[in-house]
Amino acid sequence: MLEDWEAVIGLEVHTELTTLETKLFCNCRLSHDDAPNTNVCPVCLGMPGALPVPNRKAIQSIVMAGLATNCQIQKHSMFYRKHYFYPDMSKNFQTTQGPVAFCMYGHLDLEVSGEGAKERPDGVETGTDTVSAHDEANPVVVHKADDGSYTVPIRILRIHMEEDAAKMVHVGGEEGRIASATESLVDYNRCGTPLIELVTEPDLRTPEEARLFMEKLQQTFRTLGISDCSLESGSMRCDGNVSLRRRGTRGLGTKTELKNINSFKSLHDGLEYEIRRQAEVLEEGGVIYQETRHWEPNRKRTIVMRVKETADDYRMMPDPDLAPFDLTDDFIEGCRARIPELPDAKRDRYVSEMGLKRVDAAQIAGDPATAALFEEACSAVEDKVRPTVANVVVNLLPAFKGLTAAQVASVSGLLAADAITFAQAREVLEAVDGTGEDPAKVVDERGMRQSTDAGALEPVVDEVLARCTDQVRQYREGNRKVLGFLVGQCMKASKGAGVKGNPKLFNQLLAARLEQ
Amino acid sequence: MASLDELSCAQIARGVADGSFSATEVARASLDAIDAREGEVQAFLEVSRDLALAAAAETDRRRAAGEPLGPLAGVPVAFKDNMHLVGTRTTCASRMLENYDSKFTATCVQRMLDAGATPVGKTNMDEFAFGSSTESSAFHRTYNPWDTTRVPGGSSGGSAASVASGEVTLALGSDTGGSIRQPASFCGVVGLKPTYGAVSRYGVVAFGSSLDQVGPFGRSVEDVALAMCALTAGGRDPYDSTSQDCSVDFLEHLEDPIEGATVGVIPSLMEAEGLTDEVRHAIEAAERALEDQGARIVEVELPNMASSISAYYVIAPCEAFSNLARFDGVRYGYQEPGCATLAEQTALSRAHGFGEEAKRRQMLGAYLLASGVYDQYYYPAQQVRTLITQDYARAYEACDVILMPASPRTAFRFGEISDPTQMYLSDMYTISNNIAGNGGVSVPLGLGEDSGLPVSAQLQGPAFSDRRLLRFARAIERAFDARGKVAPAFAGKGGEL
Amino acid sequence: MALSKQDVAGIADYARIALDDEELEEMCRYMNETVQILQPIREYDLEGVEPTFHPIGDLSNVMGEDVVDDSVRALDIDTALANAGAKRDRYFRVPSILGNDGGDR
Repeated sequence: MLEDWEAVIGLEVHTELTTLETKLFCNCRLSHDDAPNTNVCPVCLGMPGALPVPNRKAIQSIVMAGLATNCQIQKHSMFYRKHYFYPDMSKNFQTTQGPVAFCMYGHLDLEVSGEGAKERPDGVETGTDTVSAHDEANPVVVHKADDGSYTVPIRILRIHMEEDAAKMVHVGGEEGRIASATESLVDYNRCGTPLIELVTEPDLRTPEEARLFMEKLQQTFRTLGISDCSLESGSMRCDGNVSLRRRGTRGLGTKTELKNINSFKSLHDGLEYEIRRQAEVLEEGGVIYQETRHWEPNRKRTIVMRVKETADDYRMMPDPDLAPFDLTDDFIEGCRARIPELPDAKRDRYVSEMGLKRVDAAQIAGDPATAALFEEACSAVEDKVRPTVANVVVNLLPAFKGLTAAQVASVSGLLAADAITFAQAREVLEAVDGTGEDPAKVVDERGMRQSTDAGALEPVVDEVLARCTDQVRQYREGNRKVLGFLVGQCMKASKGAGVKGNPKLFNQLLAARLEQ
Repeated sequence: MASLDELSCAQIARGVADGSFSATEVARASLDAIDAREGEVQAFLEVSRDLALAAAAETDRRRAAGEPLGPLAGVPVAFKDNMHLVGTRTTCASRMLENYDSKFTATCVQRMLDAGATPVGKTNMDEFAFGSSTESSAFHRTYNPWDTTRVPGGSSGGSAASVASGEVTLALGSDTGGSIRQPASFCGVVGLKPTYGAVSRYGVVAFGSSLDQVGPFGRSVEDVALAMCALTAGGRDPYDSTSQDCSVDFLEHLEDPIEGATVGVIPSLMEAEGLTDEVRHAIEAAERALEDQGARIVEVELPNMASSISAYYVIAPCEAFSNLARFDGVRYGYQEPGCATLAEQTALSRAHGFGEEAKRRQMLGAYLLASGVYDQYYYPAQQVRTLITQDYARAYEACDVILMPASPRTAFRFGEISDPTQMYLSDMYTISNNIAGNGGVSVPLGLGEDSGLPVSAQLQGPAFSDRRLLRFARAIERAFDARGKVAPAFAGKGGEL
Repeated sequence: MALSKQDVAGIADYARIALDDEELEEMCRYMNETVQILQPIREYDLEGVEPTFHPIGDLSNVMGEDVVDDSVRALDIDTALANAGAKRDRYFRVPSILGNDGGDR
């Protein structure tokens, strides 16, 4: 059934600029964790007579976001008032942008591989397929490789600036739900928080692509340092618009809007559910209604929140209290200069200059803190140790809380020199996590350091080969597996000989001798 | 013994500085005058006796301590009740804000206080500044000091009347479509609507954000100029994105002759329907007076001015709807008791908190901003605004200022104009200036030949030429000897120093 | 195309202004009359004319700095809530939201 339908997915992503000091239009502290209504002033409480002044750093941040997502920065734009009566907006209008946003017409390239790539059976077998275009000159094309992995640019329609709403607490009902609440309480701490809303074109075709897009966006914004981008805490929020169409057709079906997505898994699973639900409805000859649906992660289903019969009329008008923007080249170039190396460029550099595996490089480059630690650790080791540093960063680092670059560098050096095993590395890091202690010191204190001195190990090898004649014979008859047994014997014998065994080195020494 | 009625701002400040009298004595004189006159004028919604005496005492302390005194030291000033002053209520003459305590002080108010002025109280107005007679105040009428059977004009009627009756020496008002210039004209005082952006709007409850401008009332051009020095001191207000630095010495060229300058007149405006003979004759006299002082009179045209009222009654209600949306009874303002749901509470709080005109304007705005309607009215109105602005720019290539009436007639009687749309048309001479954002000033020409009521000239000038406007206003003032007159029925009642 | 009473009721509903039947009639009359004054706006050929939303000349790019001013403008909790018609603890309080159309946006 699903094979007959193609999903068309667009995302709306709201990101709070959490790294700023103050709100978008006033100088109140940006903090949501304080006691209710702590960070409020006449402006964000919408007191009569108060006036907004845009936060320069917020404007810089959105321009950086636009540049990093290949958008065209619109020099001329205005703030608009979007009116609706609801107490989460203290003025009963939200200050947002109109038809022209600070950033328009960008794209992010997704690399989709492995299992996830199989989700897109959209006729793109190999080579290149034009999917859609913002303009004829820049069509969206999917490049598919022989192994099934592919690269697809996802177009971004716009990124605009707006203010976040207050938090409402619904009281008296079950589970704080609005439906049965007898009253609601309003906390304006969040009201006026700078929020950038990114809207994609409906270029996504699979839940995996949607997940990857969000991941990439999170990596990009984190690298820019404009937000902590936490889906869990809500500083990054995402709504998905989904519709289905018969595979091979180009028209668009009726879409539903998916809300309450607070993890990458929710995004993927919610979309997957919604695609299946719509396909079932359509297969049975049913109709999809334009509605907002709420993802319930525990029950793994979406439920209707609200049916949109007519488009809302928000009485949009240019905000007369805010001067228009006519961004100068200097301002825009100043923003560009603040953009650090972005994840894709970083990944490519790690591959080409440091010899990392592409997948490892991408993982490290995706998180700015990890990348910074990685680079610092690399600068403390010899070039040839760098892949080992990457290995440690990718496979060990995520399990620890407080490792320093120096510790990672030290442990990588020990590993690269075969002084400890990978399992020992984990043990050592557990011991030094959060202490700042040098792993080499712990290794020595615990007597973990393996001998890397072939001269010291040779006598042990001699003894084992002399003793295990059967295995030596079997090896020479072609049974290479006995090598493991012999290494084990060497390790045991090491203790009696008072040497720290080193399985890797024993392996090499034994093989060399047996091949003679 | 001096009477506050006779003293200019500069004389008060000088007297306080040289110890002829104390700021406290001046404050008491003003409060005295209010006690004696307010019963018949009712200019105030709140008299801030304690604040006034405390501010005056501080001024006296500064003098005693040898600290510098401001240019308005001890000058009693009243504020329109849409301006926040901590320690007072700010009601906008609306039930909606009947109990609203100011939680911050407006920049314009603060700058007057910083200049040493004594805050005497908050004045009556049309509710939320919607009106031209102060009759839409939810609390009471204000009476024209020249004829208490008549309105003081509006919406800043209380401010105009408080100055005209001699209760205070200065008052601030706000002008969205004529709300300073028209009541100044009805009450025979000087009223300046500065260029949009010259005075901060921060802390002034908004009506039409792109039209509103704060300005002073005084009994002389010099007093108004001194108030402008205070209001613009310190340059642009960082809390108002649309404010600009206009800090100049407004007194510096006040007495400069206008010889050789050009004054524009617009013939079609002088033949407009509704313009009374006495006003026309007074303006013609002003024209001659300026000519006598060496100015050249030239005819100019503002071809699109006739559409000003249409553009205004699109733009202003839309901005008003938007600005007044925040009054929902949640964070402040009237809250309907006993409502089961939020929607009910919102709709009833607004229905019962707002008066008729406030509801009318918001309804009109909500309609005009609706999708589909916006493109028929709001957007084209803002385009027409461009044409009107260009008309002015062209006219000012040929003249320094434009002379016209402030109002087509003198003050009318209470209830005389009850039809809202008729009331709207009475703003015909003032509105276009708000549309363009330029400055304009009302200056008294004495009493009308038929009504015996104050008649004023209006001078309009290019943006950021407010100092020039005051120089021309002073030229008219010189010719008409209309300076510093308290309405005769009130002169000398209380207010002795 | 005059506004009907029903149109006006719809606008009142949106603008959250409760009007009884008589007030609706009156409002309807007022709005239709006032819209007449606005007609000159619609008679212009405005092709190519830029709108003036802000009468501020070339003023643009007005921005403030990203600096906390707690001590200057932040309101303490009592001041913030002082004018509120209903509050609970540190919150502004509103009655039940559903059971009407004022709910989710």
